[in-house]
Amino acid sequence: MRKIFVITFLIQLLAFPQSTSFDFHSPQNIKLFADHLFCESDYLRAIEEYALIDGQFVNDTIDFKIMLSYSNLGLFKLSNEVFKRINNGSIIYPDSYLLSMKNELVIKSTPLEYSILSSFNLSQQKSFNRLVSVSTLYGEKPVVTKNDFLSVFSAEDHDIISHLYDYKFDPPYKSPTLAGIFSAIIPGSGKMYVGEWGDGITGLLVTGLFAFLAYDNFKADHTARAWLFTGVGAFFYAGNIYGSIASAQIFNAKIDFEFSNGLKVFLENKNYFLPEYDFCN
Amino acid sequence: MTSVIKIFLVVVFFVFSGTILIAQNSFEEQFNLAKKLYDQENYFDAVTEFKRLLYFSDKGVYNFESNFLIGLSYKNGNKFSDALQYFTLSDLSSTTSDEAFESRLEIIKINILRRTTERAFVLLDSLQNTAKFSNRIDEINYWRGWAYIFSDDWDKASATFSKIQNENQLVVFCDSIKSDFYNPQLAKYLSILPGAGQFYTGEYVSGFISIGWNVLWGYLTINAFIEDRVLDGVLIGSLLWWRFYSGNIQNAEKFALEKNLEITNSALRYLQNHFNGKKP
Repeated sequence: MRKIFVITFLIQLLAFPQSTSFDFHSPQNIKLFADHLFCESDYLRAIEEYALIDGQFVNDTIDFKIMLSYSNLGLFKLSNEVFKRINNGSIIYPDSYLLSMKNELVIKSTPLEYSILSSFNLSQQKSFNRLVSVSTLYGEKPVVTKNDFLSVFSAEDHDIISHLYDYKFDPPYKSPTLAGIFSAIIPGSGKMYVGEWGDGITGLLVTGLFAFLAYDNFKADHTARAWLFTGVGAFFYAGNIYGSIASAQIFNAKIDFEFSNGLKVFLENKNYFLPEYDFCN
Repeated sequence: MTSVIKIFLVVVFFVFSGTILIAQNSFEEQFNLAKKLYDQENYFDAVTEFKRLLYFSDKGVYNFESNFLIGLSYKNGNKFSDALQYFTLSDLSSTTSDEAFESRLEIIKINILRRTTERAFVLLDSLQNTAKFSNRIDEINYWRGWAYIFSDDWDKASATFSKIQNENQLVVFCDSIKSDFYNPQLAKYLSILPGAGQFYTGEYVSGFISIGWNVLWGYLTINAFIEDRVLDGVLIGSLLWWRFYSGNIQNAEKFALEKNLEITNSALRYLQNHFNGKKP
């Protein structure tokens, strides 16, 4: 009897460490799981899990991860709300500060008015200067000369940054008034001025054709037909002037779009000059 | 042995047994919780709880089912890329050929839904060429038929469904869609007579407008030649009449293609909302 009890007891004892009761929802396990979700880029779930242990750990890194998660989800305002919770004496504060600058830039698309932190290291200083400089491209006028502007960025980015700078402060706009006047003098020339050569030549030929047909029919005393061609020709002539003005406006809107889209894509590729954060390895 | 020791040992025995029972249940309970959320169509929370189970469970007991159900949850939320990732994981953690087959089938269905049907065909070929799935050829053909539907190839869809026993409903449906289609080439050639192609596709207003323009410019061209105004005739004929005549031909072909697209879309809508069989 005693042997049976002892053997049974030992079996249970061996099995016990392999199958202890597991608390999925202990604060420590929730944090572990939240960190795992964060590293899997499942940011929304990570935020939810971090919220479950809110206040149970004194840890600014968690707040920074929540900030990053919101920012990566495109919820920039919420990300900056979390920034307000981060202690300015914390070691993570300079990085949070930079991230809040990025969020601000995305939300407002205006030049950043932030002061430099004394606690920035060299890399953070670079990020700060680049973010502030690039944000001036959202302003109306250049703040510094082009050379001073470019000097902040690395050599590999000079070409694209220089292009964006020119596009912003010296855009190759076309004048809608001039396009209209050109087309009024020579049909289609306004379109050619905007760069739409095919449309311009077509406009010139069609208006010219109807003008000729009208002239030829008047000459041959086919008055009704001549007026028909005159009407159609006048319609094409007026349409061509209107079309040239519209083309110039579309051209300018395209320049603005290419600038804002180009700047956005460039900044996203560069991750807004923020330092690399590695919480997962 | 005194009775006190005996009682002590009995108590210890039951305490440990109970602990083990609870421990076994805590992972099972987590799985059941996640499954319940999935069954309630609360897919977001279901994914969270399945992921929690997968993260903490190191024995792999729930790997297939958890990954598979995460995949289905993502699929139900239209997150096809995430769903693909988890169906691939469920395939890797499958322990039976049925589990592997189901996972791969879901990957194929996602490719059908995303209209990456070329990839779906490659995966279907791979399933068909795997000996252990030779008894599931009807299912493979069924989803191949669906892949053809989403490739807008109703002929092949009908032919593929007809290989399956008792799948007459989809064969009839595909055949009926096929017969509804307009022939773009016919529309084009009918338009040699201006407007006829538009009438064939049911675009009567456009057909009459086309006739009107062609009659007007044709009359003016011919009239100019009759009155010996050759230059007028050449200019009107080449720049205006020809432009409207060729436009009428292109227009008829375009209408046929647009109508065919409408037919395809309404067929897919019908399948989505009214077809009761298995759908991707």
